[in-house]
Amino acid sequence: MQVVTTDVAIVGGGAAGCYAALNLNRRGIRSLIVCKGLVGKSGASLFAGNLVVSGRLLGNTDENARNTAEFLIKYHNQFLIDQDWARRCGQWIEQVYYPELEEAGLYFRRDDTGQVVTSPGKIRSVAANVQGNSGVPFMDLRRKQVIKARIPRLEETVATALLRKPDGSVGGVFCLNYLTGEYTVVVARAVIMATGYSDRLHARSTGTREMSADGIALAWRVGATLVNMEMQWWHTNDMAHPPSWQRIQIYPNPMLGSEKSARMVNSVGEEFFNQQRDDPLAFGPYTVQLKALAKQVHAGKARYDGGYYAGFDHCNAAEVEAYTTYAKAYHQLGLRFPEQLMETAVTTHYRQGGIDADTTTMRSSVPGLYVAGGLGGHSNGLIALATYDGKVVAEGVAGDLPNLSASPPLEQDITLERNRLEALRISSSDGMTPISVKERIRALMWDKVGVEKTTANMTSALDALEQIRLELLPGMRISNQAKSANYEWLDAIDVMNMIDACELIIHSSLERKESRGPFFRQDFPLTDNGNWLVANVMRKSGNGFRFERRKYDLPMFRPDFAIKNNFEVAW
Amino acid sequence: MTLTPATDQMDARRLGQIENHDSLAARNTRLAPGDNVTVRIRRSSGSEGGSAYQDFDVPYQKWMRVLDALNWIAENRATDLAYRWFCGSKMCGTCAVRMNGREVLACWEAVEPAMTIEPLRNLPVIRDLVVDRTRYEDKVASLEPWLERPSPYTGFPEPLNHKQMKDASKALDCISCMCCYSACPVVGLGALTDFAGPAPLVQLAQTALDPRNDPEKLRRSLALTDIFNCVSCYKCEEVCPAHIPIVSRIIEPLKAKTAQLVPGMAKHSFALRDIVAARGRVDPGALVLRVQGLRALANMSRVVRLLMRGKINPLKTFLKIKTAAAEAAGRILLGNRTK
Repeated sequence: MQVVTTDVAIVGGGAAGCYAALNLNRRGIRSLIVCKGLVGKSGASLFAGNLVVSGRLLGNTDENARNTAEFLIKYHNQFLIDQDWARRCGQWIEQVYYPELEEAGLYFRRDDTGQVVTSPGKIRSVAANVQGNSGVPFMDLRRKQVIKARIPRLEETVATALLRKPDGSVGGVFCLNYLTGEYTVVVARAVIMATGYSDRLHARSTGTREMSADGIALAWRVGATLVNMEMQWWHTNDMAHPPSWQRIQIYPNPMLGSEKSARMVNSVGEEFFNQQRDDPLAFGPYTVQLKALAKQVHAGKARYDGGYYAGFDHCNAAEVEAYTTYAKAYHQLGLRFPEQLMETAVTTHYRQGGIDADTTTMRSSVPGLYVAGGLGGHSNGLIALATYDGKVVAEGVAGDLPNLSASPPLEQDITLERNRLEALRISSSDGMTPISVKERIRALMWDKVGVEKTTANMTSALDALEQIRLELLPGMRISNQAKSANYEWLDAIDVMNMIDACELIIHSSLERKESRGPFFRQDFPLTDNGNWLVANVMRKSGNGFRFERRKYDLPMFRPDFAIKNNFEVAW
Repeated sequence: MTLTPATDQMDARRLGQIENHDSLAARNTRLAPGDNVTVRIRRSSGSEGGSAYQDFDVPYQKWMRVLDALNWIAENRATDLAYRWFCGSKMCGTCAVRMNGREVLACWEAVEPAMTIEPLRNLPVIRDLVVDRTRYEDKVASLEPWLERPSPYTGFPEPLNHKQMKDASKALDCISCMCCYSACPVVGLGALTDFAGPAPLVQLAQTALDPRNDPEKLRRSLALTDIFNCVSCYKCEEVCPAHIPIVSRIIEPLKAKTAQLVPGMAKHSFALRDIVAARGRVDPGALVLRVQGLRALANMSRVVRLLMRGKINPLKTFLKIKTAAAEAAGRILLGNRTK
């Protein structure tokens, strides 16, 4: 076991974690990135398709600027957002984010005359090199900036526990490099959790292989308060086949250089979503699409796991392919593009809620523990918002650092964690394998805690999870006890985090007794702004947890009704 | 036989596929759900230990990718199978393997009815299909593939057009999956050359072919590439899942930049060009003498061998005999005026 000492430990190598590290580095504060995948090559940041233009950039009008803010608050967060934070964030994106990225070399796609290519519409966006693939060069740039700054990285290394100091603050991370099987204890004065919001807890999910809600589970175990854990975004139009491609979206977003985007038809060939007709403002089409799909499902003309189609057969191929990657899957399957449509299905996408944070410092409720990016409960993420968090958290941590303990974490916690992991690796019971338990949990979440939720289903899911916890987890079978590249061992570690996070999500879902945006409850179908335009705060307590409601300030935008059937609400 | 090039993706290098009716449409339809896919995987517990093949039968699912087959095996048959992947959608570039002898991105490639899956070449194996990427990462870092501006940034958006970024833009499609690195025969020579390899060159090209980059900075980076050891065999281009024209749009432009910024590295190419331009033919004897000088004569046994096989002809070399093509060659290569 090696011990590494730094000022700030950052868990997560995506947009938020990298930017936090770079900002700390500029201030002369040492940091280290622990990344379960490869910095800039795993997690959700890679999936950024396009980059939203805010403020007055690139010829944006006042109306464009206002639309972008409205999109973020209303269509992206259903008003469950700190609007002052959103305002600060928008200003920073306009003044700092774009120029800084370009100065560092990011290529915002131009045409041959030198104009930055934008998508037309009420909200405009641009692309890094190619639309649909912007996250790849964006995060590749971050990876190289981290390398250039010589910020140490522990990659393909999973953070398995947050470590406490004698004064109760968080100041260390227990890690396992799953390629070598070696343990590392990172000793720090502060820990920034930036593990993202795209976890694979459902049978169909855009979350990448390594996403198992580690950030939520680790933070909850040390007592961090959570918020809005029930608010889950869904993609309506990811590919139904093959399983690997459940993360490939037939994008509904307006295309660069064209006013069109993918349309969707049901099982009998009737169009049920066309962004130009159904969402002409091009505001967040995702929730609008999901509501449109739900109506098709109720009419028996689609299923949440397939039986409906999306594509570009109303466009010409050159229009789609000029600046986007949208045709790549069609070509790879040998389909005729754009004539043929693709069968699509629903997947869980972003979790809107997460760890509750003070948005001026990104402090969590636990001293020494900070949060940045999608893992935070303050907003649904976009790569720009996650990046902004990286800046804010660096400032917050820098301000607090003199007051944070430099002493080592408690030795007994380190020993306990080491023993826990060792026991998992040498577990030779004859029970289910960890990967099977994972799939069991995902199937259960899909069946009982899917798009449309009921109290009865969610309660039965809690019972089933309890059964898995008591009967399956203790007897998991690991067939190979090798230390090196033992993904079974990693799966066993993941399962413990997944089951905790699933329970927290279900409890939060039961607590919010309304429907809002993509959060559908069959037993509470109304959007109830009178009672539920609040943060659903989940605090850990001695014997479990308790919920509190916290009101949001609404200085810029507020809903124009008190109560309404969610399916009739535009957002 | 009639050839029916159906899509605009066809090019000369795909003619073999066309002749074999091996189109993407065919690859995705030759199996039906429930059919059996035979998978043979090379397994090992690391580079020091030996390796062995293990066979699996996998039921085909609609549009199944190689990664789906690996996932099925890991879930149902060999739960300790070690293989790397994150995104499953051609973005992270971590799941590349060799399937039936060619490099593929597991998440992107259709399964074949009978597949042998092996780890990538030219990188040490950690376990089963997981390779150690360190060698590549270190090389990329040493090339300092980032932008350094010769003059201050002018503010967003800066003057730049896509024509200037055409080649760099292709390089930006790179997901560093290592397919090309594994397929490259020169990288396969190991320590015999210091060739950086195609993947690190593509990474370097992202900024090296960007007009905003400082040529001084580029000179330092290019000096570390040993780029003229590339033999332009197109293996890299053939396997690239991102369809980057690695030789024609990356390595050739980088070679041209190297010739301009670090001319010493291009000695061999310059000598070859001048000889062909002057004589209308390749003269191996002259080429070796120009590049290596009299050192070339030190290896007398090789000289004799080359003489006996007719590879070199000292008479032609020293008399500087031209062929009829000399004039045209001079015109094409050096822009000499025709008389």
